[in-house]
Order: sequence, then structure tokens, then C-alpha cells
Amino acid sequence: MIKTSQLTKIVSTNEGELEILKPISFEVKSGQTVAIVGASGSGKSTLLGLLAGLDQVSGGQIFLDDEPLHEMDEEQRAQLRGAKVGFIFQSFMLVQSLTAIENVMLPAEIAGFDDAREQAKEILEQVGLGHRANHYPNQLSGGEQQRVAIARAFIGKPKILFADEPTGNLDAANSEKIEKLLFELNRDLGTTLILVTHDEALARHCQRQLTMQAGALSETSSDDTLKQGIA
Amino acid sequence: MNRVFSLAWRLFKHEARRGELTIILAAIILSVAAVLSLSLFSERLQGALTERSASFLAADRQLEARQPLKPEWLSAARSQSLQTAQQVQTRSMVFGPQEMSLTDLRAVNSAYPLKGEITVADKPFGTEEKVSQVPNPGEAWIDSRLFQLLAVSVGDSIEIGQASFEVTRVLSEIPDAGFSLFSTDPIVLIRIADLEKANITGPGSRVSYKAYFSGDEAQLETYYDWLRPQLDEEIHRWQSVQDDESPIGRSVARAGQYFLLASLLAIVLAAVSIAVAAQRYSQRHYDPVAIMKTLGASKSMIRKVYVLQVMFIAVLGIAIGIAAGVLIQQMVVSALADKVEVSLAVWHWRPVLIAVFTGVICAVLFSMYPLLRLFSVPPLRVLRRDMDSSLSSRTFQFAISGSAVFLLMWAYSQNLKISAILFVSGIVLVAALICVTFGLIRLGRWLGSSKMGAWQLAWARIRRRAMDNSVQLISFSITIMLLLVVLVMRNDMIKQWQAQLPEGTPNYFMINITEDERPQLESHFAENDVTIDRFYPVVRGRFIAVNDRRVNTEVTKEDVEPEDQEDTQDGLGREANLTWSNQLQKENSIVAGSWHGNAQTPSQTNDMYEVSVESEVAVRLEIAMGDTLTFDIGSQIVKAKVTSLRQVNWQTMQPNFFFVLSPEAMTSFTPTYITSFYLPTERKPELTSLLQPFASVTLFDVDARINQLRGIVEQVSLAVEFILILVLVAGSLVLIAQVQASMDERQQELAILRTLGAKGRLIRSSVIYEFVIIGVVAGFMAALANEFSLYLLQTQLFNMTPSFHFSYWLIAPITGAVVVGLLGAVGCWRLLTLNTSDLLRKIM
Repeated sequence: MIKTSQLTKIVSTNEGELEILKPISFEVKSGQTVAIVGASGSGKSTLLGLLAGLDQVSGGQIFLDDEPLHEMDEEQRAQLRGAKVGFIFQSFMLVQSLTAIENVMLPAEIAGFDDAREQAKEILEQVGLGHRANHYPNQLSGGEQQRVAIARAFIGKPKILFADEPTGNLDAANSEKIEKLLFELNRDLGTTLILVTHDEALARHCQRQLTMQAGALSETSSDDTLKQGIA
Repeated sequence: MNRVFSLAWRLFKHEARRGELTIILAAIILSVAAVLSLSLFSERLQGALTERSASFLAADRQLEARQPLKPEWLSAARSQSLQTAQQVQTRSMVFGPQEMSLTDLRAVNSAYPLKGEITVADKPFGTEEKVSQVPNPGEAWIDSRLFQLLAVSVGDSIEIGQASFEVTRVLSEIPDAGFSLFSTDPIVLIRIADLEKANITGPGSRVSYKAYFSGDEAQLETYYDWLRPQLDEEIHRWQSVQDDESPIGRSVARAGQYFLLASLLAIVLAAVSIAVAAQRYSQRHYDPVAIMKTLGASKSMIRKVYVLQVMFIAVLGIAIGIAAGVLIQQMVVSALADKVEVSLAVWHWRPVLIAVFTGVICAVLFSMYPLLRLFSVPPLRVLRRDMDSSLSSRTFQFAISGSAVFLLMWAYSQNLKISAILFVSGIVLVAALICVTFGLIRLGRWLGSSKMGAWQLAWARIRRRAMDNSVQLISFSITIMLLLVVLVMRNDMIKQWQAQLPEGTPNYFMINITEDERPQLESHFAENDVTIDRFYPVVRGRFIAVNDRRVNTEVTKEDVEPEDQEDTQDGLGREANLTWSNQLQKENSIVAGSWHGNAQTPSQTNDMYEVSVESEVAVRLEIAMGDTLTFDIGSQIVKAKVTSLRQVNWQTMQPNFFFVLSPEAMTSFTPTYITSFYLPTERKPELTSLLQPFASVTLFDVDARINQLRGIVEQVSLAVEFILILVLVAGSLVLIAQVQASMDERQQELAILRTLGAKGRLIRSSVIYEFVIIGVVAGFMAALANEFSLYLLQTQLFNMTPSFHFSYWLIAPITGAVVVGLLGAVGCWRLLTLNTSDLLRKIM
């Protein structure tokens, strides 16, 4: 599903060029769940941004569902994200001026689905928020907001889901609910899941755990058969 | 497109409902409402004042000629749906049973006057009434003075030329009588058809033919375009209300310029508020744009969604703005109805079009840069909140905003000069503010480095945001400056108007006072507690040569033989009133040479007397400093050397003279005197007893004219006050919008300070101090820019004496501190009273 080869990210600073990601090569198979862990500033979010096509690589290659992300411009990457990628963020990233159902509808509308509202309604019911469909984000609790975000992420039945600290802003009880929901949907829809987290328990739920340290990636725990591809 | 429209509409609907669009919507509503109400009111008031001025011309346009006008010109005007009227004016002797007098004879047709009214009375100095008719054939209406001079009463007969007329009414005033102390003979009004019977306009007689036109402005212009090529500049004179050089005409013109200025400033204020609001709107949409991009939205989709949103906002803002503008204007006009003559019945489309145009241009051009910034927000912002727009060229922003403001000003005023003056002042202000901003950063670094008190915190915040929020500081300053310009211009203008007609301005003039009568008259008036102004000696004489080269002494071409014409230059065309004095008159200023009264030695230089010439007549008659002028006074020749040129303010109600000689030149002549006095209206009945002992003295009553002038000045002043209030409200709203615009950033900072344990009082004080400092700086800069703009406006546009306003250098910073401080405190109060957890929730 995802394959990188000698992937690097270098940024320019006042002091010169800074290599944020050292050459990274790895592969994630379709349907796998992968946790990327690491200290703050280790490069986790940068990697996530590159894998999801939110940022331009400095060097190397990324293939997302066999499509060469590294060769694409911003518009092409947006099109690919709309068609195949879902997102969940720590700060939920809901559009504050749209209701819960309208937030969920958003990716479907962008993709041009005619039945966006019906699909959104259905998936909101699935995440247990059918009764809160017409509420604005600031009228929902943190856990509810994240459930809306999950519903939004799954509405287009994405092939791959990227989650950035999905439970980072939630209390233990809500974290557990979100975690359960996330893995259930992942399993039901066969979506590949790549998540960045500090939460060890959440990471342990994933089939593979990759650790970022000073811009370098290493596999710390997984089924041995999956270790291949880490360079 | 449908889904894009539906998404844009939904976003717009929700944001409007949640109050997210309040600021930008309010800014557009304000701009449209302010521009509409100002220009609508201004056009209606201008219309009313023009109408009033037109009454002094007796029409909208007047064509005056020294030859009979072609009948086809009048029929052409009528065929173009214009109203016309005619008058023939000449000086003629009028005979009573025993006496005779030279009069100003006006023969009119029944359509006269097209504007204004004729005022008559039943007996001399009796109660006046306005009538909308002219004398019947065979009748004459005569001036009050003529009753005394001809010793006639109403009902008696008088003779003019070969015809006899019955005096049926006392003529008090006709609209275009004009006012000149020297050339005003008592007026006699008759029918134009009777003039032929009188047979007094034969060859050689000096006759002025007038045609009056009224109607639609466009039709008048079309007619003039057709007529102009057929007119001869030497013979014909086309006059419109705009050419009115009278004090009223000038006041109306100046008020018109003030309205234009105020409206332009309202546009600038509106533009500033939209720019500020659009910036905030854009910043608040960084996240939604990043989210949409992340979810796969293309750039073109984002563009369409937000352009549509701006369109929705603009349409709604313009619609509400127009309704509000009409309502405000209607309310103000109703409130002023008894004081200002403004017709509500006339609807002017131009202000509506201007307001819509302003709304659209402001919404589009001022939101362009913030929108471009918004479109360039990277999707990566969903992961890295510090990622901002990649577009950050302030120069580009200023270039777009600046061009938009200039284009709006120019398009609206169609006056490159006023637009350029305001625009250049704006640029100078912005440049100065950028320097101050840098100064502040330095000062803030020094002041903010000591122990953290409220002042230090405020300075530190200013230092941190001085660059980013320089736009805010600049817009505060521009707002205050614009308010100052409108306020000071209003004060100066009203002060200068009032100075022209101070309380106690002489309202009666007396001429033909003999040398013997003078002391008696002085003591008689003093006994009756009436103060007489200065006495001006006058003798009539012909100005006949410049440097021994003969000048024309007659008006009509027929008077000068062709051979003479070749080697003569223009003269006055009539007898001049010559006066002499060593004392320079009020409102006269020397523009070249030196006033002969100032000379230490006797003013006779090289056996030549000295004369001071009015500067405009000097240009017209090609008289230069040092020239020798020759006057023929009762066959006696007097030569005088031009030693000074004077600029005369003809707007003052006082006798003014083209030529003022040194007293030595006139010792051998016996003058008559002119003087003036002020008599309150309630003492008017005492006039007869006051003048009884002086039968030969002629009295001019200018009380009605002064009151009329005062009335107009008061009306215009009231209108100016209203406009000042509107601009002040507009300015205050802009300030509020600016304070609101910085709320998001402030919210974040307050949350951090609270979390770090800063006391509420410290935070509150520091926020207020920050606004106070910004207010002081903005006020000071505004006062500086105000002086610069005012100097340019007063000297280049309003033809006023430039004035400096040092008091505002103190008032503006203090007012800035108080107003901006208060607005800041009120605007932030809700944030300042939130507890830490609520604050944190708001910024999450």
C-alpha cells in the first residue's frame, strides 16, 4: 500500500540546511496497522505529512497505492488524498462553522458524491452520533468531536487512514472508546492504518511499531514477517 | 459548480448565523451606508442650495448680451423643453409730475423670473410680500427710493421715454438685481412689450439683453453645446449658478467641496475597515482551507468556494448598507427639515450607484490579498499549526489597497487634485508610521527589559507585534487623521464664513453725503446711538490713459472709432469711483509694491502722486507697477504712479475700490462720502427719522441680503455638522473593527499568561496600557499628517488661508489614548473576565 525508498526531508534554516528525515525505506502492506512512535521533534509528523502527500519530499520516492507521490504536484496529491486517504488529527480539525453532519459530508462533497448527506448520516449513526448530527463542533465534547472526525475519515472508504495522535486530547475513557472505534472500522473496511502516537497502549494495538529517532526510522516490535523493508 | 455553490452557501449561512461574518459584513454595510447617506444628503442639499443660488440668477442659466438676442435661440431652447424668460435692462430717466431721476430700467416678459421671486410692498418701506407675477402692460413697479425722489405715490403716473405708466406697486427686490453701491440706480420694472412704446433703446443707448433658461441639467448642457459656437465672447456672457462669484456662490461651492472631501474620507475609512476585517476573516479561515485541501479539495474549488462567499457577503452587505444609508439620510433630513431646505421628493440615483460601486470595489479589492493568502495556506497546517500562508508580501498588499483607494477616490470625485492630495498625505503618513514602528521596537526592547510590570508587558507586546500589526497602527492613525481633517476643516470653514459676516455687520449703506453734511450726520447718528463706520471720500472720474497711451473709456464698440481702436487698450468702460486714503482698507492686502500710506516721506514722488490698483483689474487693463495712470476728474487731469497692487476680498460687505490714490492727489476736489452702519432689524422703523435731516443722502438697505446670506451659511454649517457626525460614527466603527481584528491573537496570549499565573489585574492593565500607547502614537502621527493634509487642502483646493493647529498635537494623542484605550478595554473585556479554563477552551 505504501512504499518508500531513500525518502528524505531537508529544510532550509538560518544556519543552513537541516536534514529532518534521514533516508528512509520501508513498506506497509494493504490492511496493516502501523504505529509510529518517537520523542517530540524526532520527525514523526514530518514523515506522516510526506506519506499522506501533505508535503513535498526533498529526495527519494514514495508510492501510495502504487502511485508515485514524489512525482506529483500539489493538485495531483490533493486529488489522490481525496480518492484514497483519510485523516484523523489530535486537535480534531473540524470546520467550526459546519455542523457535525456537514463536517462528515465534506470529503464526499469534495469528491463529488451525490449521496453525501445520506452516507454521512449513516456513518454518524455508526459512530453513535446520529442524534448530534446538527450540532456544531463547539457544542460537542472532545470525544464526540473525535468521533465526528473518525466518521469524516471513513466516509469515502479510504484505502489508507493516517492518524496523528488520535487520542492525544482525550481522557482515558474517551481514548478507549475512540481506539475501539478506530480499529473496528479499520477491520470492517479493510483500511490500512498508519498512526503517530505517544500512547504505548495504542501503539501496542497495531501490528507494527516503528520508532523515529533523530530523523531515522527503525522497527521496534512486530510480526517478524513484516520487518522486511526497513532500511 | 452546484456542490461548490452549496458548500459556499452553507459555510456562509452558518458563519452568518454564528456571527463569524459580523465584522466584515458590518464594514461593508458601514461603507455603503456612509457613502450613500453622505452623498445622497450632499446631493440633495447641493440641489437645494443650487436651487437657492439659482434664484440669485433668476434661472439655472443666463445669457447676457450687448445686442438683441436672436429669437431662434429662444425658440430652440423651448423646443428642447427648456423654460425661457427675457429681460432688457437699460439706464433711463424717469419723470414724475415734478421730479426726475436716473433709474435702472428692467423690462421683462411674463415668464420672468424662472427661479426666485419678486418682492413687492403696498407702500414705500411697507410690509413686503413675494409675488409670482410681473407688472401688467402699462404698469410700473418702482423702488421705494423713487417714491421719495420723484415725489409720487402708488396710483400716480410716471413717464419713461414716450410712454406713460401707472405706478401700481412698490418694488422691493427682484432676484437678479445684483448689488453694487456705485452702479445701483433705483429699479423700475415694466413689461418688455412696453419698451417699444417708450422708444428709449435706440442706437447709442447702452442696453443689456438677457435670456433666462431653466430645466433639466442635461438638457441645459445639450442646449449650451448647441449655442456655444454661435456666441461671441466679446458680446455674449453665459452664466450658470456654478459661475456665481458671490459670497453665497462661493459658500455653496466650498460646502460642495467639503461634502466631496468628507465622502472621500468616508470611503477611505470604509476601505480601511474592510481591509482590516478581510484580514481577520482570512486568518480565521486558514484552518478550514487546510482541512479542505487535506481532504482533497483542489485549488480551484477552494477559490470558487471563497470567492462565492465574498460575493454573498458583498451582496448582503450592500443590500443592508443601502437600506441603512437611505434610512439614516431620511432620519437626518427629517430631523433637520425645519432648518435645512432639502427636498426628499427628489431621488438621486448617482449616490446609490456610487455606494454599490464602493461596496463591490471594497469587497473585491480589499479582500483580494487576504484571499490570495488564504488560497496559499498549505495543507500541512493540519499537522503543523505554525504553518502560515506562503504569501507574505506587505508591499503587494499595500500596492493593491493603495491603488484601490486611489481609484475609488478618483472615480468618485473625478477630481485628480483632491484625490492626489489625500493619497499623498496617506503615503507620507504610512511611511512615517513605518519609521515609528521601528522606533517602537527599539523603545519596546529597552522598556520591556526591566521587571515585568503592566507597562513593561504592554511594551513587550507592542514590540513583539509592532511589525505584524503595523497595519493596525497605521489604520488607527489614518482613522484619527481623517477625523481630524474633517473636524478641523469644518471648524476653519465655519469660522471663516462667520468672519465674513460677524454680528454687527453694517446692514445699511449711505452714499452722496456731502462734506458739510458729514459732521452733522455723525453727531445725529451718535445721538441716536447708531455707530457709523468709516467715511470713504469718493469722486467720479474717467481713467483715460496708461503711460500717456489712451485707453477705451466706453463699453460699447460703437463708441470708439475704428482708427482709435487700433492704438488704444482696454479701459474700465465707465466712470471710475476714485477714493483716497493713507489707511489700507480691511480685507485688502498688498501683493506688489508698498502701500503709499506707509511711506515716511510725502507720497508725491517726482511730482507724481501715488495710486494703488486692485490686482485683478490691473491684469485686465494691463497695468503694471510703476505705470503712470491718467484720470480725468471733471475736466481736471490727475496723474498718478502705480506704487502698489492690492488684492481685494470682494466677498466682504464693504465698499471696495479699483483705485485708491494718495490723499495729496485729491486735495483740490470736493468729494461726496460713503459710509455704512448697523441697525438691528427691530429698530428699522427709526430709519425715516434718522435720515430725515439729510434729504440728499441715498440709503441702501442690505439687511435682507445679509440675513439671506447668514441663513445659507447657517444651513450649510448645519449640514457640515451632520456630515462631521456621520464621519465620526464611521471612524469609531472602524476603530472597533480594528480592535476586534486583534482579538484572536490576544486571546491566545491571555490564555498563556493566565496559565503561567499572571494576575488578572496585571493582564487587564497591560492590555489597556497597550491600547493607550497605540492610541498616543496613532494620535500623534495623525496630528502630524493632519497638518500636512490640511495645508495642501486649504491652499490647493479650498482657497483658504492655511492654518496651523498646534493644539491638536496635544488633543489628538490624548484623545487617541482615551478612545483607543476605552475601545480596547471594552473590546477585550469579555476575554479579560474569562477564567483560565474557558480561555484555554477557546483557543484549542
